[in-house]
Amino acid sequence: MTRWGRLLRADWIGLAVLIVAGAAALSLARPEFLTPYNIDVILVGFCLTVVVALGQGIIIAIGHMNLALGATGCLVAVAFGGSMQFWGLPTWAAVLFGLLLGTACGFVNGWLTYRSGLTSFIVTLATLSIFKGASLGITEAQSFNGISDAVKAFGSDRWGPLPEMLLVAVPVVLATALFLGRTIPGRQMLAYGGNPNAAELSGISRARVVILAHTLSGLLAAVAGMMTVARLQIATPTIGDEWLIASFAAPVIGGAVLSGGHFPVAGTCLGVLVIALINQALVLLAVDPFYVQVLLGLLILAAVGANRLREARLGTGPTLRLS
Amino acid sequence: MTLPMRLRAVSRSNSFGLLIAIALFVLGFHVFAHGFTSKVNIYSITRSIGIDGVIGMAMMTVLVTGGLNLALGAIGVCSAMGVGWALQTLGLPVAPSMLFGVVLGAALGAINGLIVVTTRLHSFVVTLATMSIFFGTMVLLSGSNGFNALPRELTGFGRMRLFGMVSPLLLVMFAVAAVLFYIYRYTAFGREMLAAGANPFAAKLSGLPVERLFIWCHALCGGIGAIAGVMASLRNGAIVPSMAGPLGADWLLPAFLAPVLGGTLLTGGAVSVLGAVLGTVFVEVITSGLYMLQIGEFWIQTALGLVLLGAILLERGRAALALARSTRR
Amino acid sequence: MPRYLERIAGAAGALLLATAPAMDTDVKVGLVPGGPHPYFANWEQGAKDAKKDFGIAAADYKVPAKWELGLQNQLIENLTAQGYNAFLIFPGDPVATNSPMADLQAAGIPSIATAGCTKDPTPALFCFGTDTGHSAYLGAKELIKALGGKGTIVHFTGNLVDPNTQLRMDAVAQAVKESNGAVKLLQTIADIDRTPQEADEKINALLAARGKEIDGIITTAWLPAVSSATALRRIGDKRIQMVGIDHDPVVLAAIKDGFVHGTMLQNPYGQAYIGSYVMEEIVGHGCKVNDKAPFKSVALTNRFIDSGTAFQGIDGVDHFENSMKAVTAELMKTFKATYLICP
Repeated sequence: MTRWGRLLRADWIGLAVLIVAGAAALSLARPEFLTPYNIDVILVGFCLTVVVALGQGIIIAIGHMNLALGATGCLVAVAFGGSMQFWGLPTWAAVLFGLLLGTACGFVNGWLTYRSGLTSFIVTLATLSIFKGASLGITEAQSFNGISDAVKAFGSDRWGPLPEMLLVAVPVVLATALFLGRTIPGRQMLAYGGNPNAAELSGISRARVVILAHTLSGLLAAVAGMMTVARLQIATPTIGDEWLIASFAAPVIGGAVLSGGHFPVAGTCLGVLVIALINQALVLLAVDPFYVQVLLGLLILAAVGANRLREARLGTGPTLRLS
Repeated sequence: MTLPMRLRAVSRSNSFGLLIAIALFVLGFHVFAHGFTSKVNIYSITRSIGIDGVIGMAMMTVLVTGGLNLALGAIGVCSAMGVGWALQTLGLPVAPSMLFGVVLGAALGAINGLIVVTTRLHSFVVTLATMSIFFGTMVLLSGSNGFNALPRELTGFGRMRLFGMVSPLLLVMFAVAAVLFYIYRYTAFGREMLAAGANPFAAKLSGLPVERLFIWCHALCGGIGAIAGVMASLRNGAIVPSMAGPLGADWLLPAFLAPVLGGTLLTGGAVSVLGAVLGTVFVEVITSGLYMLQIGEFWIQTALGLVLLGAILLERGRAALALARSTRR
Repeated sequence: MPRYLERIAGAAGALLLATAPAMDTDVKVGLVPGGPHPYFANWEQGAKDAKKDFGIAAADYKVPAKWELGLQNQLIENLTAQGYNAFLIFPGDPVATNSPMADLQAAGIPSIATAGCTKDPTPALFCFGTDTGHSAYLGAKELIKALGGKGTIVHFTGNLVDPNTQLRMDAVAQAVKESNGAVKLLQTIADIDRTPQEADEKINALLAARGKEIDGIITTAWLPAVSSATALRRIGDKRIQMVGIDHDPVVLAAIKDGFVHGTMLQNPYGQAYIGSYVMEEIVGHGCKVNDKAPFKSVALTNRFIDSGTAFQGIDGVDHFENSMKAVTAELMKTFKATYLICP
């Protein structure tokens, strides 16, 4: 507990303070910020992005990357929507189909990476193209809207400020945290990410770690893809296009190390919230559209910079190694 | 093993495989894809190779540090717009306008480097933010209005066809490649950048100004990115903010693909200029060929991914085989 | 492919073409959108129908795999190498697309800027599409009319890197200004035409925070229209009036169910159908574009032909395709006589 707990806290506090301060400032400027509907909107964004971020996070933990995350989500979304519209699958079967497909995509990534010895960067870049192309090929750039009512309701319903989607997102977050922190395969992943050679020498199977991590990543991408369909009420081949950057940004803002070995689940959640809050602020404060991009960049820089400043003062930040 | 020796070994095997793959694909497309080796298509391929090759090499210079530059496309577009502004609004002649663009690009790159080095944040987050800032500022200043009255010598250069089928942009790429090759292979500066990227700690201990070297890497990236921006504008015949997509993000794929295919390590400290060039040629040949084969347009990305994967796996198999043979002897 | 080699060799092909006697040539029309987008799906049908009705050798819908300027240019070059000799092109960029068109012109291949315009001076024969600014203006007017001439509206639009977005913003501002203060433009959200998720987030954020102040929504890009329609249906709000754009099934269903007031239809079907026909006449039968024809002037070009913009409210929303075809038939009646000179 001690080392793990301290690490978590170090990742946490700066961002948590930042979020609270930001939310307070926003609700002062715009009282509507705290209405249930608005909190629901923020939480929906959180639910979608956090699953995406964890899908990448589990790969970052072993020091790999999954560029095909968005494309996997997209393919699953299209297949999920299509299976309901054209094959008339009932909701549960379509969900199962989506999960299986995502898992299979992830497995292919993992297996190819393991067997070929190539970097995951190249492998997933190629599969990105394959999955994305398949989504476009299946849909011919149209969107499927034969989504079942149950799915649509899941993406829209809320209890006061709490969207139903939390029912998926929260368990996913908890499961990921438990998996990486408390289970043997999870710890093996982190050990492998920290130092692959040492991990292999101590008997950890590279095949298992790599394939498992990529498979789980595919599974999470599938979950995120179907949640997106539920939210948008359509399955379009542009789903997932913006995931890549968000999937890296949230963990990195939350204190993840891209070279692997350490992955802060709580920090990633806060990273997702920071981004959601910034986006919300830009809309709520009615920023001139031409200034939105500039401000977005400055705020991201300010947010991570503030966190880093605190770390530097505590002496916990990375020293020279810049990656 | 010294670093340059290792580097040479890596790049040789990789580049050799790429060369074979390129030859095979060119042959295959020549036979099966109608019009692939026509002058029009060769011209189109060489032009794309020229532009994407320079984009790839720009990214390569910053991959050296073990970091990356997501803002590359934004810098390229901003610098090209800077050139347009200098040409059209200030009315400067071509040469000083170009110089202005390259300096602007290098300055924007240096800003990235400076932030990375001083804040110790990962270049991913830094350049993610600056991508938004640079691009947003450019849209703000220009109102998305491009520059389309480029001087005749420039558009003429962009349209030129050497031997009726080779774009001069290809030569620009070779020039950039030659300069980079020279820097990394034969100058102390280049070797210091590589050493600093390979192991910043050790480099620091041995007295290298690692921070300053990293800023230089980023500046180099920005400067080359500016050249790529101007080249892309020459292809378009105009300088427009949309040439690299929203936030300049369209460049990211060619930027990473070519150097990584060519054997540049994402962890830093190793480059292969030749590999990056061949990587670009490889990708462009496949892309063009698949288009010519008239696969349903919507499926072309899938085909591209499959061929890319297949070719890389084959090359990997070949390299493993070669290694096994040489160790047996 | 000797024919195409000839064409490359003769840079004066354009001249030849213009003066060529009525000689039957196989016409291969390439219809190239800017990237994969549902808007262009009707192009395919339009091209097919034209091919059948006018006996065109080929009229093929060819989509760049991604929404990228370079990729579109490359696709056009590839198609040229394959013998396509007439192009309908959606300009990936109003300024930059002039360049591939100039290359085509040099090779004697005509092109029409379709669905969107290239900026003058342009090698395009003419621009055949929707006047984006005017359509936004008409949409805003419809919205204001639905609001009874007063209220607070918001505008959701496309990407700022596209100069058309500025035109749309100006047009909405103009319509608001003409209300003499009775209508207020509360906010404009731009850059949300890339992915539906982004549009959904921002639109819902605005509706959540300021929904009570908002009386009307005008959207001038595809995805924002879809996302707003979905959002209004989700919160079950029929008080807020909305005028969308285009014919996504989501928007049409929302009109039918009363969540959306109407949409500004464009006519992609007719663009492809008439455009292909024009190419058959020009390349195949030696017609020329009549330079003295009554072209409209729009922000980008002085040679604009309106492919038809119509407001589609709840009446006849089930048969919007018929209204597209009707508009097309209407245009066809006089098109040749008005815009072409034939031998």
